[in-house]
Amino acid sequence: MNVTFPHRALPWLLLLPQLAVTAIFFLWPAEKAVEQAFYQEDAFGLSREFVGLENFIDLLTDPYYYESIVVTLIFSFSVAFLGIAVALALAIMANRVIKAQLFYQTLLIWPYAVAPALAGVIWWIMFDPSIGPVAQWLKFWGIQWNHYLNSTDAMILVVIAATWKQISYNFLFFLAGLQAVPKSLIEAAAIDGASPIKRFWTIVFPLLSPTTFFLLVVNLVYAFFDTFGIIDATTGGGPGQSTKIMVYKVFDDGFIGLDLGSSAAQSVILMGIVGIMTVIQFRFIERKVQY
Amino acid sequence: MAEVILKEVGKTYPNGFNAIPAVDLHIADGEFIVLVGPSGCGKSTLLRMVAGLESITSGELTINGTVMNKKEPADRDIAMVFQNYALYPHMTVFNNMAYGLKNRGVDKATILKKVNSVGDMLGLEELLDRKPKQLSGGQRQRVAMGRAMVRDPQVFLFDEPLSNLDAKLRVQMRVEIRQLQRKLGTTTLYVTHDQVEAMTLADRLVVLNKGNAEQIGTPLELYERPATPFVAAFIGSPSMNLLDAKVADGVLSIGANIRLATDLSFNKNVVWGIRPEHLECLPESAPNEDADFILTVQAVESLGAETLIYGTLEGVETIVVVRLSGPHSPELGSQMKLKAPSAKWHLFDASTQQRL
Repeated sequence: MNVTFPHRALPWLLLLPQLAVTAIFFLWPAEKAVEQAFYQEDAFGLSREFVGLENFIDLLTDPYYYESIVVTLIFSFSVAFLGIAVALALAIMANRVIKAQLFYQTLLIWPYAVAPALAGVIWWIMFDPSIGPVAQWLKFWGIQWNHYLNSTDAMILVVIAATWKQISYNFLFFLAGLQAVPKSLIEAAAIDGASPIKRFWTIVFPLLSPTTFFLLVVNLVYAFFDTFGIIDATTGGGPGQSTKIMVYKVFDDGFIGLDLGSSAAQSVILMGIVGIMTVIQFRFIERKVQY
Repeated sequence: MAEVILKEVGKTYPNGFNAIPAVDLHIADGEFIVLVGPSGCGKSTLLRMVAGLESITSGELTINGTVMNKKEPADRDIAMVFQNYALYPHMTVFNNMAYGLKNRGVDKATILKKVNSVGDMLGLEELLDRKPKQLSGGQRQRVAMGRAMVRDPQVFLFDEPLSNLDAKLRVQMRVEIRQLQRKLGTTTLYVTHDQVEAMTLADRLVVLNKGNAEQIGTPLELYERPATPFVAAFIGSPSMNLLDAKVADGVLSIGANIRLATDLSFNKNVVWGIRPEHLECLPESAPNEDADFILTVQAVESLGAETLIYGTLEGVETIVVVRLSGPHSPELGSQMKLKAPSAKWHLFDASTQQRL
């Protein structure tokens, strides 16, 4: 669509507020981070020294950084997989409910409105080894739960907390996707002799694949970059390095460890990852997964 | 090949709505039955009940002697062609047709042979690798039929399969469906709201009205001896002229002014009908006494081969249609002298709506 403006400056003037926000809150800090990544700064921020690629070299030879990458991958794929699977199951069930459908759907969407830190705290209390009801219940069944000491427990806790918050979002998309599958296709498959389970896997699930792929990318991005609050409120990256995802490590190294140079270098790497994921999202979602 | 028997088959929805009170229908092996009626008459519901997609709440459905009421659609050995074709969009034409066979555990070689032979029969050889969205409407229609045929079912069910096609293609597919059904000899139940489609395809027609079978018979039987005014109005295009009338003492009176002599001996209120093509137009010079009634022309539709003239009779509200062959161009507002030969009359009891 081509719109003709009476004056050449007008379109720029109309864009100005958004451009200003982008420049001040996104481009400028990003530029600062890139700059910072090439300097070594003292802990008080009084002086700094140009070190070239040393921050990156340090980072890429640091086993802790690789550990963080592995933790991030385990965390992100667990969250994405679990979130998609549970949301799909819930959407299928909610789609079958005939009475009070709206009521169920509303309840299932609510967790999305909970702040990440709060979501973290809720699950942290539930699983607290001394007062948490879930931990007590696990103990009753003979399972020792302690996310303060056990790395696996800690990882499970942050995955559950992060997934719980994302399920609502996935659920909405799946529900819409399920409702878009024509009923006559299911009926045709029934006449063609497919059992309900087979109908789901051979007809419904393939038709949902664009939705599923979209959600996979969105959930990975969420787990990568949007779960800081949950980690901070539950495990704080611990015990040890076991739940320190890359985003959390940026904060931890920069503001707790006061190694601003390394923190900035990590940010630059994360920016690169965001860029790649955005490209994947835009390139493939529209084209690749189609029928 | 199968015989399908519906014995007082009925459907009442959980909310108490009685969609289909009780339909009796005996479909002989290889017969082509068309269910026809206006929208909302329950024809699709009845078809879906035979398919097993809707439950049967009363009566009994048997296919080849087996009671099917509680059987799953897959176990009834039927195949259905849907109005929107319901092709699986993510599968190729081949896989669309093979899906039902695969689900039934047919071996690969047989599937390949069957799909290819049906593909050949329907002219789909070149399209087997395509996805449904790469096909035209007529091709999709063929694939949907191929999917039904490839399983070699006992019964074909068609749910308004041609309503999404353009007029020309519809006529072409209509002929093809009829030829294929004759060739395969498969018992067929076909739903449509289009009476031309119904008349041309059917061995026998079932005219449904509010879930009741108003009349079951061959197309010509229904045309020549409609059992009720509803059937009379539904079958034939343009519709039969139906007017409220009264028979008393050997005179049939319509409105205040029209009196026709008759040899009917009873006295009662009737619905009097005559088809537009059975009304005869007298020359202008004919004396008024020869005409049964005078029509005041209100609209003329010239179709070339025939002309439809719409007008009113003196003292009657209902518009009357006359169908004349060849071109005619009476002036609007002019008067036409018409004769209604009594051999072509249709009379229905006004209170019971039954044919007299």
